[in-house]
Amino acid sequence: MKLKTISAILLMFALLTGFNSVKADSDFDKAILKGKKTLKEGMDKSDEVILKKARGQFERILQLKQQPWLVNYYIALADYGLATTGMVKEDKETIKKYTESGINVINKSIDENPEFCDSYVLLESLNFNRWQYEQEKMQEIIAATQSADAQAKKLDAENPRYVLVTGISQFYTPEAFGGGIKMAIPTLEKSSELFKTRKEKSELYPDWGYDMALGYLALSLLKRNDDGDLSKAEVLIVEALKINPDSGFISGYVQKEYKTASAESK
Amino acid sequence: MKLFFILFITLTFLVQIGITFSQVSDSAETSQFTIISGKVTGEKNEVLSGANLVIEGTIDGATSDEKGLYEFETEKTGQANLIVTSLDYATKNIPIDILPGQKMVLNVKLTKTEIKTDEILVTASSFTSGNNNAVTLTPLEIVRIPGADADLYRAITTFPGSNQVNEGSRITVRGGNPNEVLTIVDMASLYNPFIFDETFNTSSYSTINPWGLKGINFTSGGFSAKYGNVLSAVLDLKSYDMPQGSGMFAWLGLANASLSGVYLSDNRKIGATFTAGKLFLEPFFAINGKHSEYSPIPQSNQLGGTLSFTLGKTGNLKMYGNYSDDKVGIKNAGPTYDGFFEGSSKNYFSNIKLTTAPSVSTLLSVGGSFSLNENNSKYGVLNTTEKNIYSKGRAEYTLQLNNKTDINTGLEYEYNEYDITGTVPLFSYNLALNAPSLTLDTNSNSGRLGAYLEAQIRLTDDLFVIPGVRTDYHSLSSKASFDPRISFGYLIKQNHTVRGAFGLYHQYPSLLDYSRSRENELKPESALHYILGYEFNNDNKIIFRVEGYYKDYSDLVLFNRANFFYGSEGDGNVKGVDVFFKTKISNKFTGWISYAYSDSKRRQFDAQILAPSNYDITNNMSIVGSYNLSDKIVLGLSYKLSTGKPYTPVSGSTFDSTMNVYVPIYSEINSGRFPTYDRLDMNAQYIFSLFGKFAVGVLAVNNIFNKDNLYDYTYNSDYSTQLPIYTNNKRTLYVGLGLQL
Repeated sequence: MKLKTISAILLMFALLTGFNSVKADSDFDKAILKGKKTLKEGMDKSDEVILKKARGQFERILQLKQQPWLVNYYIALADYGLATTGMVKEDKETIKKYTESGINVINKSIDENPEFCDSYVLLESLNFNRWQYEQEKMQEIIAATQSADAQAKKLDAENPRYVLVTGISQFYTPEAFGGGIKMAIPTLEKSSELFKTRKEKSELYPDWGYDMALGYLALSLLKRNDDGDLSKAEVLIVEALKINPDSGFISGYVQKEYKTASAESK
Repeated sequence: MKLFFILFITLTFLVQIGITFSQVSDSAETSQFTIISGKVTGEKNEVLSGANLVIEGTIDGATSDEKGLYEFETEKTGQANLIVTSLDYATKNIPIDILPGQKMVLNVKLTKTEIKTDEILVTASSFTSGNNNAVTLTPLEIVRIPGADADLYRAITTFPGSNQVNEGSRITVRGGNPNEVLTIVDMASLYNPFIFDETFNTSSYSTINPWGLKGINFTSGGFSAKYGNVLSAVLDLKSYDMPQGSGMFAWLGLANASLSGVYLSDNRKIGATFTAGKLFLEPFFAINGKHSEYSPIPQSNQLGGTLSFTLGKTGNLKMYGNYSDDKVGIKNAGPTYDGFFEGSSKNYFSNIKLTTAPSVSTLLSVGGSFSLNENNSKYGVLNTTEKNIYSKGRAEYTLQLNNKTDINTGLEYEYNEYDITGTVPLFSYNLALNAPSLTLDTNSNSGRLGAYLEAQIRLTDDLFVIPGVRTDYHSLSSKASFDPRISFGYLIKQNHTVRGAFGLYHQYPSLLDYSRSRENELKPESALHYILGYEFNNDNKIIFRVEGYYKDYSDLVLFNRANFFYGSEGDGNVKGVDVFFKTKISNKFTGWISYAYSDSKRRQFDAQILAPSNYDITNNMSIVGSYNLSDKIVLGLSYKLSTGKPYTPVSGSTFDSTMNVYVPIYSEINSGRFPTYDRLDMNAQYIFSLFGKFAVGVLAVNNIFNKDNLYDYTYNSDYSTQLPIYTNNKRTLYVGLGLQL
């Protein structure tokens, strides 16, 4: 009897614990997905208020004490978005404030899970922001970005976001400095191809970038402007808007560039 | 680089975009929930948007909107803790009692995390670099200042109040002696970070790499109580605790080559840096010609590095080591000896530092350092080897009492040993090889125990005060000193600050001075600093500073003609005004103008009456400008104009038949002055890509107008003719290439 009782209690305890953890996971998943939704909206609209709201949502999720590295990843991503709003306003204080916060938070995330490739991609991008307000630390910034790049490549060279960031970097870097559209186009094509077949391990994981890869590829083609590039760019823009109809980048910037290029070619 | 900025503006403006998400429906809430709402503000009732509020242990909460307002529902009831966070503000925990179904209104006021009593903000006479709002100097500027040769100390002399010694890296501040300036690196005292420091007519260079520094704080007076045993100025340098990545940088120039690197392990717990450099002047002399006869020509080697470990969540252990050596022989024709001055030196420096935060409001640093400087000099009968050893142990502790007050305290013990062996002339004027001499083989040592306590207090939003006290005890002289100090910063209105400082400063004489005293009875030399200044700083776009100071010296080392010993009867004073104007116009132009007026008089060493101090430079002006011609090309120009330094002329001579030499008769100490010093330097930097890597090319022309600036005077054998010795820093061309590997 005694053994039965103990077994029953243990079973009940296990069930209860299991149930609770399932419930907690569910709460966590729901909260993460909800935060991702807000973050996407903030980034699509480049809206500071919505981005702050998203940041707050993820901060609150930390209270659940589950996968803090993932939650911190999203907080850092929100910081990155907020730093971007500073760039649009040419407000260096905002860029610095959120870039530094983002670097701190993503470093925390990396400490908690050093095997997540996307964290290094974000760390690399955040470090690039530092050019905006501390150019004098050129050597340090180069070392930091190179180090993050190497680590991301080592963990998952086929991560389409890693390839995308490399492609964007090449897009903006002059040929004399080892960049240019000749290099960017194949890289962005590779990123787009990788996105096609990419399936994240969990829907909770970051999945951004496909529309951007297409958008940047379109911009590269517009810049190259060889025969047929214009129509290829148009196809890419349509495809990108199918993937993310709310993308301010595609509808507000890439499409505009396409229209300008079209008008010039007539 | 701009291209990268544009790049990442857009990169970011887009990373956004990407996130493709699943739809998540917000669950409907029930009326059982309690509604909590309110407003979040800062200390001055300014609205705080983006503040996060959450009930501990739940995800119930909200983010404050543009008006600082928030509202959320929770099903939690009873006692709970509301956590409020916002970037740059201290986290607030508010215990609340939640009644079900109620509406609660809770307004929250947050206070800034960072206490504004930052030393940089408050300390008078400071020129700084680092993460603060009062940055006046950046590593990039150090590298780009024409004529500074990428040397931190030379760069500092373009700011008011400091001057180069013999156009080298040794500096003097506000008329003081060079040894009254203390360099600190990561809490360790660095007494000789120079090569060619004690060499005849050869400018010294520092061995500190400005790129490895996280923060630079140079203060020419009124400094904190944590700095002990220093009379005039402090250069406090902080290196990076951990490299932020891995990479290498190579430099090849007309006179030198170096290789440096940083390494960060994959788990980012271990970091290392190294620098190896060599000076070779043959190509430089081939292009620019020699202005002196050398044997050997100046040569130097350097090797250094750091090793860092992250310990736990807040700990960092860092080890630092550096070695340098130099050697030179340079011809000098003196009244009694015509030959080569041969000098060489070796410097070792090592430091270990452990930093940890035992709690969120405390920081503890402990460390130890060791340095050895060996210096050989040979000229005529003079032939000495000097060794100076310093070892130091210290601990510093910071406690953030509350958001208005920080307490800093520390303890240090420093051991100093000085050896001198060899021969020195019995009479300073006779250096002939067969001149009477003294053979030395002496050793002396001493310990110094120091402690300080300091508070950084924000009395009001606009007034910051740092009162502190320190005490030191010197074992050789059995003398103690006690130094009360206070400094303040008052923000009159935005961008306008008044700063002031008052305090007592002590420095024990060198062991060589003690060896010339009677029973080591020298007191610590003392100075009272009075400083008051005003600064306008418009977000570093325009910085204007004016600062007046007065220092009252006492107990200076003075030669006692009655007993032929050194005593502590000397005194003196210095008064002056420093003016500094710096402007930055977009990213195109940065420039500054410094002017310093100083009047420094001392009764010290052989000066029996109050006379101009050795480095009393009455007027000193520097103009520095840097212009970005394009994203790739930067041009710089630097001009320096200053009153010549004092010297003691020889007014006649008598003949000493026993030694067969003339004995000079000196005028009053420092009654003569060198001619006005002026020099114009320029440089250009070109940033480009080489093998797909970042590269920088440098072209520098120093002393464009080939001015003959004076190093010293010498005399013919009977002292009837004064002969100028010009510096070797004539017009020179230098080219160099750096490559990020």
